[in-house]
Amino acid sequence: MERRSFLGRSVAAASALGGVPAADDAPPAELPRPGGARFTPTAFAIPHSGYSPFTTPDYYTFASDLVIERPRTGKPHQGKVLAAIQPHSDDVPLYCGGTVAKLIDEGYTGYLIRISNDEGSGRTLGHGVVQNEIDNHEVAKALGCQKAFSFYYRNHRMDDDAEIEIRARLIFLYRLLQVDTILTMDPYNHYEENPDHLVACRAAEAACWMAAGAKDYPEHFKAGLQPIHVREKYYHARSPQGHNLVNRVVDISAYIDPKVRANVANKGKGPAGEAGSRLRQQLAKEGRRLPLLGDDDDTANFAYVKHFLMDDFRLLGEQFGLGYAEAFRYIGPEPNYAEGLRKYVDEHAVRL
Amino acid sequence: MTSDIIIEKDQPGQPHRGKVFAAIHAHLDDLPYYAGGLSAKLIREGYTGYIIRTSNDEKCGRGTIAENILSNQQEHFKMAAALGFKDVFDLYYRNHLMGGISPVEIRGRLILIFRMLKVDTIISFNPWGHGEENPDHWVTGRAVEEACWMSGMANDFPEHLEAGIKPHPVRERYYLYARPGQPFNRVVDVGAHIEKKIDAIVECRSQGDGNAGSLLRARLAKQGRRLPLLGGDDRAADRAYVRQFLLDDDREYGRPHGLEYAERFYYIDQRPPAKSRVDEFVEKNALPL
Repeated sequence: MERRSFLGRSVAAASALGGVPAADDAPPAELPRPGGARFTPTAFAIPHSGYSPFTTPDYYTFASDLVIERPRTGKPHQGKVLAAIQPHSDDVPLYCGGTVAKLIDEGYTGYLIRISNDEGSGRTLGHGVVQNEIDNHEVAKALGCQKAFSFYYRNHRMDDDAEIEIRARLIFLYRLLQVDTILTMDPYNHYEENPDHLVACRAAEAACWMAAGAKDYPEHFKAGLQPIHVREKYYHARSPQGHNLVNRVVDISAYIDPKVRANVANKGKGPAGEAGSRLRQQLAKEGRRLPLLGDDDDTANFAYVKHFLMDDFRLLGEQFGLGYAEAFRYIGPEPNYAEGLRKYVDEHAVRL
Repeated sequence: MTSDIIIEKDQPGQPHRGKVFAAIHAHLDDLPYYAGGLSAKLIREGYTGYIIRTSNDEKCGRGTIAENILSNQQEHFKMAAALGFKDVFDLYYRNHLMGGISPVEIRGRLILIFRMLKVDTIISFNPWGHGEENPDHWVTGRAVEEACWMSGMANDFPEHLEAGIKPHPVRERYYLYARPGQPFNRVVDVGAHIEKKIDAIVECRSQGDGNAGSLLRARLAKQGRRLPLLGGDDRAADRAYVRQFLLDDDREYGRPHGLEYAERFYYIDQRPPAKSRVDEFVEKNALPL
């Protein structure tokens, strides 16, 4: 797809976690004025390497309160639980693997939940299902997740499944694992062509608040589960067609290698896996070699993913002065409205 | 009717101690009418009983839709207590609209409950029974039947295992005789449990005519008349009305077998034999090496 550029220069980032400004606070660039009319672009194209479509999306829309989430020292998330929910085995590793690895390194206990059976990719349908099942476990391991779950809904056909049933299963898992935070595809990502993505992330989102409801699936409580309100969400875009609102850019520079390893582990589908060794073998047949790919298959697979598939995340990071980055629509815990009201009353109440 | 009808009589003692049954019905008054006697009997004989109502009964009652949901909910608890059920589950699917719900979702919920309670036996609608006009009945029966065997499969909803809830197949089924012409192969003598059945039915006031006796008594009083049958208070009137007018089917089902009251069921027993035919063959024919 031909990507248009709305801005001639990098986008501006507003602030960073801990109050550290992360971008150059650049003023708006000069804009084209079709027909002489002034307009403000609402979608921003960012540079792409052109190596793979499955990296960063065509466009981003940036919120005015964009923050850069930088690595944190110690284990600030100790005791918290995250669930990375992916329709297919390659979604989390490609689009948010760096952030998952980062959050786990910072103390989260992580779980990986795959919704489809990935039957659509593989030598035969059966081979595809088996390989992707293995991959899901290996990806979880590479990212540091404690466990991987698979729901095995049929690949590319999830719009034929009952969303309420998928949601019910996610509510069960959120309650069982006491999930605080999810990472998944943005349910409001425009130009989403894959029905599995739409169904899975809608179910994941609705399950977040329903998991807290005492009247949704009360039989769970008789089974010993507790309600849980999933209060933090990291929504990522899909690619290549994609366009979501971004209010958080995560610095994954220190986690690019775990992200690469997670993608190498994903052999059954997607652009990564053993693509490096395949290219190396193909070149050898032609009497050539790429020094980048090294002298063995493992080195070739790692180098291929890092050089060709992570480059767009490097280019995204570059916009914010970071080595590598992933972009999210982040939804955090609700403000304490009762506290705000109490403060107002304390400040303004007068004696009778 | 099948050719091999069995009469299930009361058993002395508590032969079912340690076993669990779940009665799954769609509406407040289904179970008490079709299997109130059987439920009371099984509990008396040692079973622990749980009752699951799948609909919200919003269409039945004298109030608004919202008021009907509440009154049926409250009466369901009272009806279950009258029969001795240990706990009540209400799934609250919309009454008369269950044909539109996701079959796999309701089945998933039943599988969780069957596993969690370690249900050995169910009482529910016959999903293959003819003449069933109510979609809530056949959706419930179908989901129950499928959940019975799937709850024994480790690969169905494996997340339950993560919660420590083990697979547990349901091996015995009593399918209700809910419409004329449906099959039955078991006639259960409920004569000794008819008072409990009446206790349960009189709690079904939003539907099921549980308070028909007191309503008739009040109507007659306005006309300056009374029926001695209905006794001196509303409770006595309701019980007498049920006994006199609403248990004709039970009397009819018992009559051919010399029973005062009976309920009909299509019973399915899938408990494995203590020894398989292969075990028996090996025992008989194996030789030392």
